[in-house]
Amino acid sequence: MTQLARLRPLGLLGVALFLTTGQANAADVAFGLPGFPETRMDAAGSLIEDWGTLKVSLDGATGPSSAGPERISLDGRVPAARARQAAPGVNATYTAFRGPAFPGGFDILTVRLEETAGKPATVGVSVQLPDGAQSGSRTATMGSRVVLSLPASGTVSRQRRDWGYDDEATSLPGWASPQGACDPAFTSIRAGLGGVPIRYRLPITPGGAAQVVLGLCESHWGSSGQRLMRCRVEGAPVQNIDPIARWGRHKPGALLFGASDVNQDGILDVAVLPDPASPDRNPILNALWVFPSDAALDLSQVIAGRLNSQATRFVDVGGPGDQSMYPGGTLQYKVSLPAKGVQELTFYAACPGGEVPLPTQTTWTPESLLRAASEVWRDWK
Amino acid sequence: MEAPHKCACCLTRRQCLKLLSATALSSGALGKALAAPEPAARLGAAEAVSATALRPKPTVNLEAAVLQQPTPYWLGWPGTTYDLKGHQKEYLDKLKDSSKKLAITLNLAEKPIEDEAGMTALLQRVKDRKPDALMVIIQHMNCWGWAERLAQEAGVPLLVFSPIGTSFTGHVAGISRRTGVYVASTLEWPAVEDGMRMVLAKRRFEDSRILWIQGGARNETVLDRLGTKVRAVPRDTFNQEFDRTPVSREVKDVAADLRRNAKKIVEPTLEDTENCARAYVTAKRLLAQEKSNALSMDCLGMVGAKLVPTPPCGAWTLLQDQGITAGCEADLFGATSLMLTSYLLDRPGYMNDPVAETAKNLLIASHCTSGTRLDGFDKPRHPHILRNHSESALGVSMQVLWPKDQPVTLVRFSSPNELILDTGKVVSNVDTPPAGGCRTSVEIRMDQVEDARDVLGFHQVVCLGDHQRVVEGFCQLYGIRAIHSPEHSPEPEVAA
Repeated sequence: MTQLARLRPLGLLGVALFLTTGQANAADVAFGLPGFPETRMDAAGSLIEDWGTLKVSLDGATGPSSAGPERISLDGRVPAARARQAAPGVNATYTAFRGPAFPGGFDILTVRLEETAGKPATVGVSVQLPDGAQSGSRTATMGSRVVLSLPASGTVSRQRRDWGYDDEATSLPGWASPQGACDPAFTSIRAGLGGVPIRYRLPITPGGAAQVVLGLCESHWGSSGQRLMRCRVEGAPVQNIDPIARWGRHKPGALLFGASDVNQDGILDVAVLPDPASPDRNPILNALWVFPSDAALDLSQVIAGRLNSQATRFVDVGGPGDQSMYPGGTLQYKVSLPAKGVQELTFYAACPGGEVPLPTQTTWTPESLLRAASEVWRDWK
Repeated sequence: MEAPHKCACCLTRRQCLKLLSATALSSGALGKALAAPEPAARLGAAEAVSATALRPKPTVNLEAAVLQQPTPYWLGWPGTTYDLKGHQKEYLDKLKDSSKKLAITLNLAEKPIEDEAGMTALLQRVKDRKPDALMVIIQHMNCWGWAERLAQEAGVPLLVFSPIGTSFTGHVAGISRRTGVYVASTLEWPAVEDGMRMVLAKRRFEDSRILWIQGGARNETVLDRLGTKVRAVPRDTFNQEFDRTPVSREVKDVAADLRRNAKKIVEPTLEDTENCARAYVTAKRLLAQEKSNALSMDCLGMVGAKLVPTPPCGAWTLLQDQGITAGCEADLFGATSLMLTSYLLDRPGYMNDPVAETAKNLLIASHCTSGTRLDGFDKPRHPHILRNHSESALGVSMQVLWPKDQPVTLVRFSSPNELILDTGKVVSNVDTPPAGGCRTSVEIRMDQVEDARDVLGFHQVVCLGDHQRVVEGFCQLYGIRAIHSPEHSPEPEVAA
């Protein structure tokens, strides 16, 4: 229902961003929430968090247009920090405040881009993630900690790898304890905590066919009827699976799908979702293989890892060979601005000791967070 | 002799007058309850904080319109014989009455909407005004396409009243299950009013602040989806305030009422009841000081550390009977669950420890803080016995005698996004002794749960009455996933 972070026209925060610039060479500006550790913004508008520095910058900018961040109040009472950058024809303003989301809040960084030359422009924005950060579809994580929520895809261009996971699930190496002969990939999983789907995108010849095998091993539940999942592979009938009922606890199993690139986009879409009736809403996946459509497959041999070399793609899901569709490091966004137009990119960043919520599991918006922060500060003493 | 009251933490006279004025102006169920005022209201003393004035009184804006086809009608439901004007007047009068009763501001479209231009204008009005909800009254079967459009485009919760004769199952089957929508296809106006209560309840959540008394930190956050503020204050805040609370006239009156209203008094002494009343006065004062409307406290920790001479159980009962949520053990989502019965159903519940009675296959809901006005805040108290807190043998807690054979509803937020919801029927009240555990212990035969051991959750909130459909409606309107305990037991564990 609600987009966590998104590109949107001039809105609530935009009003605050029209404030005049502060004095030069100011120190970093701290902001926060009553009773919690603060976050700092530096001169370039970067947020300095306990997990690293979130550096968002305007391509072509030569540096901050003002010497330091400015301490401002949003809605007349919410402590916030602001910095500015300029590139030819474009101004960028960075505004951050602490959203008071239970239990510890998170930081909202809004990047307001304004075209100043009077002609349509495409603006590059770089988001530099700290070392060790993994980028997902809408989030970035440090280990299993979700530290950043990204603007919605579809509104910006992001670099993509040719295969990988494209979700907000969590990698859990060593989660499973498979028994019997099986590939070591069965020891790790990705888990869709809170009911988020596990999604992979895999390359295929446009319009082509392939065989996809999904490997599963349930090591938490001891009885059936607990974790019910729906496995969807493009071009193949959906398969519902209860791993305990089918194979038992700690028993590796495999599902075979006759896949095809139905939409002819050169990508096979694979998804594992919770069954709506599942008591445990967290889907899991341990391994994934793609084989040629005419390969003769013995699933016991696939499970044992003896056919890995015949696979056109083998993924130890949640393991060391797994990867996101999106490379870490620096994320590149392209934002289209009409003449004299304004757009905003909003990021949610984990504040000290906290996390950001998954976009699919929250109703928070920048507007509702500012309203909530305003109410908190209004009554605080 | 009562000591002069000089504590530094009292409300100012102006604050106090404001609270007392709010009490006098309160309407609806609580207004009726005030016919037999609690001691604070009777006293009118400068230091008395009215509990009912602590209950949130949000502004609620409801946009409403009638959807019809151009008249006169010819064939097609509701039919040519349908008294269109008469029924519209009837329903709009009821809508106005309900709005007044619930203190909802109603913005009613001047005339029925019967074409696309009217629909576009309605949508624009909703987008401009951003009401808390939109209600439409369907007056022709061909209007359902508009209802679908409103569900998709209005951007606010949608209440749809479809009087019988304006829809088939096919019209309502989809939209009535959609997140953000509540459909009442009925001639029963209370079911329509339930939708308005859902909107009111959500606004009450949004306007509320829970005082979370535990640990050592002082901070404030806000719950996702519900919008409720959570102000954490150090646990010592309560016992320090308690120590400053004298045995005032209000305290004595509350204590006297406690003893007078009880069916029987077993353990508590006069001093116990006065300490209970001091805890009640302390809680009210803290709530007022912290601009809060509900609380949840690490009560067991305080008793364990012997920081207070009494557990707050009896005081919590007094608050809950007046619509002020008072939760146990600093269980935050236990408190929000209590707020749900208070704000949506206008009655107290009690959060409980679930116990399996395996011989009779019953659930025993056991705790020491049950409200007594189980039928509603404006209804009489149910019989209750004054006991002490069983685990500590201290203070006052109520054994509330729940009515046998009556339906009950169990709710429990596991997060702001998910609520466990079950129903059952009261079988009996369990006495302590012979049982151990908490003073109010109610045996419940669960509906649609074959084995009582499988009931989900802990600290579920039990309240009187079968409210499953209303609670489900609230959850659907606000995107909360309602789940139920499993009807059948899980398969036995498979040996590895």
